[in-house]
Amino acid sequence: MAAAMETVESLVAHIQALTKPEDVAQLHSLLKQSQSDEALRSQAPHLAPLLADLDPAKHSLGYLYLLDTYLYSSISREQVAAFLPSIARFLNTCSAYHIRFASDKFISVCRCFKDQVMRQQTPIQGIIPLRSAVQKLQNSSEQLTTLHSDFLLLCLLAKCYKPSLCILENDIFEAENPKDLFLFYYYGGMIYIGLKRFSKALECLHNVFTSPMANLNAIAIEAYKKYILVSLIHSGQVPPFPKYTSATAQRNLKNYAQAYLDLTTAYATGKHSEIEACIQQHIEKFQSDNNLGLVKQVLSSLSKRNIQRLTQTYLTLSLQDISNSVQLNGSKESELHVLHMIQDGEIHATINQKDGMVIFHEDPEEYKTCQMVNQMDLSIQRLMSLSKKLTAIDEHISCDPAYLTKIGRERTRYEFDDFDSVPPKYL
Amino acid sequence: MASSSSSGITFKLHPLVIVNISDHYTRLKAQTLHSGESSSCAPPSNGGTAGSALSAPPRVFGCVIGVQRGRTVEIFNSFELLFDSKTHTLDRAFLEKKQELYKKVFPTFYILGWYSTGSDVEEADMLIHRSLMDINENPIYVLLNPAIIHSQKDLPISIYETELHVIDGNPQLIFVKSSYNIETVEAERISVDHVAHLKPSDGGSAATQLAAHLTGIHSAIKMLNSRVRVLHQYLVAMQRGEIPLDNSLLRQVLSLLRRLPAIESEKFQDEFLMEFNDTLLMTYLAMFTNCTGTMNDVVEKFNIAYDRHSRRGGRTAFI
Repeated sequence: MAAAMETVESLVAHIQALTKPEDVAQLHSLLKQSQSDEALRSQAPHLAPLLADLDPAKHSLGYLYLLDTYLYSSISREQVAAFLPSIARFLNTCSAYHIRFASDKFISVCRCFKDQVMRQQTPIQGIIPLRSAVQKLQNSSEQLTTLHSDFLLLCLLAKCYKPSLCILENDIFEAENPKDLFLFYYYGGMIYIGLKRFSKALECLHNVFTSPMANLNAIAIEAYKKYILVSLIHSGQVPPFPKYTSATAQRNLKNYAQAYLDLTTAYATGKHSEIEACIQQHIEKFQSDNNLGLVKQVLSSLSKRNIQRLTQTYLTLSLQDISNSVQLNGSKESELHVLHMIQDGEIHATINQKDGMVIFHEDPEEYKTCQMVNQMDLSIQRLMSLSKKLTAIDEHISCDPAYLTKIGRERTRYEFDDFDSVPPKYL
Repeated sequence: MASSSSSGITFKLHPLVIVNISDHYTRLKAQTLHSGESSSCAPPSNGGTAGSALSAPPRVFGCVIGVQRGRTVEIFNSFELLFDSKTHTLDRAFLEKKQELYKKVFPTFYILGWYSTGSDVEEADMLIHRSLMDINENPIYVLLNPAIIHSQKDLPISIYETELHVIDGNPQLIFVKSSYNIETVEAERISVDHVAHLKPSDGGSAATQLAAHLTGIHSAIKMLNSRVRVLHQYLVAMQRGEIPLDNSLLRQVLSLLRRLPAIESEKFQDEFLMEFNDTLLMTYLAMFTNCTGTMNDVVEKFNIAYDRHSRRGGRTAFI
């Protein structure tokens, strides 16, 4: 027992000694070795005071190993709960360089942290530490890690959407685990719905069900249902499947979302009564999917859509006429609707309260400001870098053996004999 | 035979002359080539002569005209002359007729000399030169070397004068090379630029012309930028005291700065920004189309490579 304690103490001494960046590799091998000894694990419950000695910022790697052993040993829930603040401190202050040496341990520590926070029903506690953890773990802002979906889950549970925006706004170009990707975009879509940014929500949900998949999964189905609802709210119709959707998704998704497709057809008629009838018909389905709130929003978006349609036909219209054509109850309600829409920037109009007329305008943007120049410059730069990435991917796929095999096999007799596009070794 | 001139006369050559000479030469070469080919299709008895006509490029001859003021000789224009290869003389009557015509249009110009093509001065040229001496007591000889040497950066034009040198006890006229400058009027510069930049092979395609135009503008702006940067560095050094102050230079810089901005008004800003933004939007659209095209390719390739149940309806020809 004492011997084991001694080894642990010597280990701690080592950790405290080796703090320079060059020594980290050495420290890492030392720690891995000690991990396999029983000594550390047997002493695990007593590690708490030792951890207090170490500084998470300077001795991040050592702290991580000890923390991991401590948390996964046989300690009680209360002890973990008591330890929560130190874990939070560690996640906020640890050094990213150290962490990346032992990323799987880091992920398990964060998992444990998240589970505890969820058990305590205080997800809001975990948001900031997990966000710094995510930022430290990823190699670049374009990489997706397992922690991303955990972080978004906490944000959703806490209903705190703002902190997640900085993570959500990065474009993801690399992902290790498909499940991570699905979860990330599904939660991201839900967060954007909560923020009422429907176009971004559509993008995220779109990514879920158009990802390449061999077999259908539940996340994609749920995402598709939400996608239908959000696109009805946002643009009034559901676009068809894009070319790059996997065949599995294309064939099977519709079978699981029948209620929603009925809603789409009802919406297309443009009549309140039809939609309400449809909702009543499928109300249990909507409720079990937790989508009833969205469905109600679909209903209210109908009037918005109708008013927008009016802008394309009329230049001026009285409030009474608006309420008649959109089936609202009276000019007061239609005035309220129009006012909200002007505030949200969905239409450009002025309400003349004296005679109750609404005058519709064109988009006043004249594109003659310097800010517009900057905005467009930024967009063009983004497009250029995206284009470069796409060309790189294109070249990569063209050299891919799977692609070449398929191309070569489909070569027909019409091909010129002396123009061999695919060398025979790929057939 | 040629050494540097010591007469102290400065020559100013206009680019029109160079273009004329080269044009004359090229046309003649093209015509003899064409006629050489057509005669080679004739019965093989003519084959020998046709071959010899193709191998040696013809020499062209002509007259240069301009103005001589004091020690400066300015060569403005040139015209072609008939050359009698048997007597090795220029057709005198033709020359005088042409001279009269030109005198009517340009009264100040008179014949300064003659031109020819070739790589170096030849013996026979002296005869021609002497024959012109009765029109102009000191004619000049402009020689264009039609051979294209890519490494040579200078113009393949040389101007020769004659000097009386005593060689082996006999006074002889020999050709001496003189230096010259290129002198241009604005109108000439534009036309020469235009001629220089037209590519006859794909000059009809709008895309290449646009690209050439934009490249020209880009290099001009780049040069302007580097020059301004040099000036800026110079001024900063002056401010720091590393270089002694030069007031005349500072005055010049000040006058340059006073000329900008050319227009400063609200309306101008609006219109300018609107046009600028329009062009930016066009570029954006172009980028979008480009990107969408690439994305389409990627998606198709991906579908073919990885989708297990890809559409394989019918035989399609893969390019």
